[in-house]
Amino acid sequence: MSEEVKVGGGAPAWIIKAPLTINWALNNSCNFKCKHCYSRVDGNDELDLESLCAAMAKVADMGVLAVNFGGGEPLLRSDLKEVAACAAQSGLQVSMNSNGYLIDRETAVALKTAGFAKIGISIDSHVSERHDSFRGVPGSHERACAALGHLADAGIRTSISTVICKINHMDVDDLISFARVHGAQQINFHNFKCSGLGMANRDELDLSPQEWRVFYRKALAAKENGAGIDISFDDPIIASLGLKGGAGSIVKGSVCGKLSLNIKSNGDITPCGFIPIVIGNIVRDDLAVIWRESQVLDRLRHKEPTGKCASCSSYDECLGGCSARALAVTGDFNNPDPHCWEE
Amino acid sequence: MAARIMRNPDVLWREEDDARDEAQAALEQGDDVSEVGTSLLFANGQMVVLNLLGTEIWKRCDKKSVAELTAELLAEFDVEEAILREDVSGFLAELAEKGFIAYE
Ligand code: SF4
Repeated sequence: MSEEVKVGGGAPAWIIKAPLTINWALNNSCNFKCKHCYSRVDGNDELDLESLCAAMAKVADMGVLAVNFGGGEPLLRSDLKEVAACAAQSGLQVSMNSNGYLIDRETAVALKTAGFAKIGISIDSHVSERHDSFRGVPGSHERACAALGHLADAGIRTSISTVICKINHMDVDDLISFARVHGAQQINFHNFKCSGLGMANRDELDLSPQEWRVFYRKALAAKENGAGIDISFDDPIIASLGLKGGAGSIVKGSVCGKLSLNIKSNGDITPCGFIPIVIGNIVRDDLAVIWRESQVLDRLRHKEPTGKCASCSSYDECLGGCSARALAVTGDFNNPDPHCWEE
Repeated sequence: MAARIMRNPDVLWREEDDARDEAQAALEQGDDVSEVGTSLLFANGQMVVLNLLGTEIWKRCDKKSVAELTAELLAEFDVEEAILREDVSGFLAELAEKGFIAYE
């Protein structure tokens, strides 16, 4: 009655008609100074409300189901609620990632009214001092925690987004309990991408391949044991760990360009937020044509194993790991993911 | 009261029109379309492709008990009750395992 579809890595069962979800940067401005940020280095061009609404209607018509706003800090756009309302009225499921600093009780209610179904709050440590120093703003941890409460009270589902790096990779269990205590429905462990400022701070922040392996073993074990909260990490390199919840159930390889796309604040379309290859512009171009015909997307959907991947027994599941990381570090997304611990 | 099936609101799902139309046409010709995907569900990096019957179950299952769901499908589709029951329970178990549905 159901089957796992093989996306990428050979012929997919069938090509889906449109991305399922779009990550959409509404702005690049931010009230924080995070060390791993990939967007503060981008320019400040922003689409206006009218163009955004037209673009949302366009993607919804094509069959896209959801948009996740990011940036920058989306709440720094004074018309965020109007943008969200447009998206919701077009039939899209609307969510966003925020640092939570600007979400008080009143704002949470307004966001619910605007149509937000789900909001992810970025929290990098269960220890407030560590989060505050990483994010560059004192008091930000406290406000992020308060935001989770306000959102839940307003009836918005919440998740915590944590970028795994040197400051938190040993804290899997603490982070999970912290998320549970704060009523989040989900915790997303994002793998560190070496894009934007992340690349500049890579030596200081990124884990070694062996540290990644230890982290994923712990996180997968927590997921297996039913931690009482949804734990999500969509990193293809866990395929080689061969554990349940990893290999076999995750879409093969990266989902970027196969199930999702990214739109930048100026409307430029890229396969994902961490692959800086522009394949069109949402205002000027026909997304359906890009989705079907982009050669970059085609290459991402049909990667070729190189180096150690060529003889790796996990390749069918892993497809060389995260294409964005391979591209950032080696200049070719067909190369093995630099986080990979296989010899 | 019997437990109700609750669809996880985070699951994105969509019928793929072309595939569905093809499957329906093939079904009318008497072909076996159980292997033909006509819709997809996606959440947390996991994607499942459903055939025609799976899609019908997904569309109808929210907030129903398994007995209600099965009765509804039996009234609508020409299938043997024992086989349908088995199919439905296997299907729901898989969705529950992936966190796409829960019981309340
Ligand atoms: S060698 Fe390549 S395919 Fe194998 S686990 Fe590493 S990145 Fe994935």
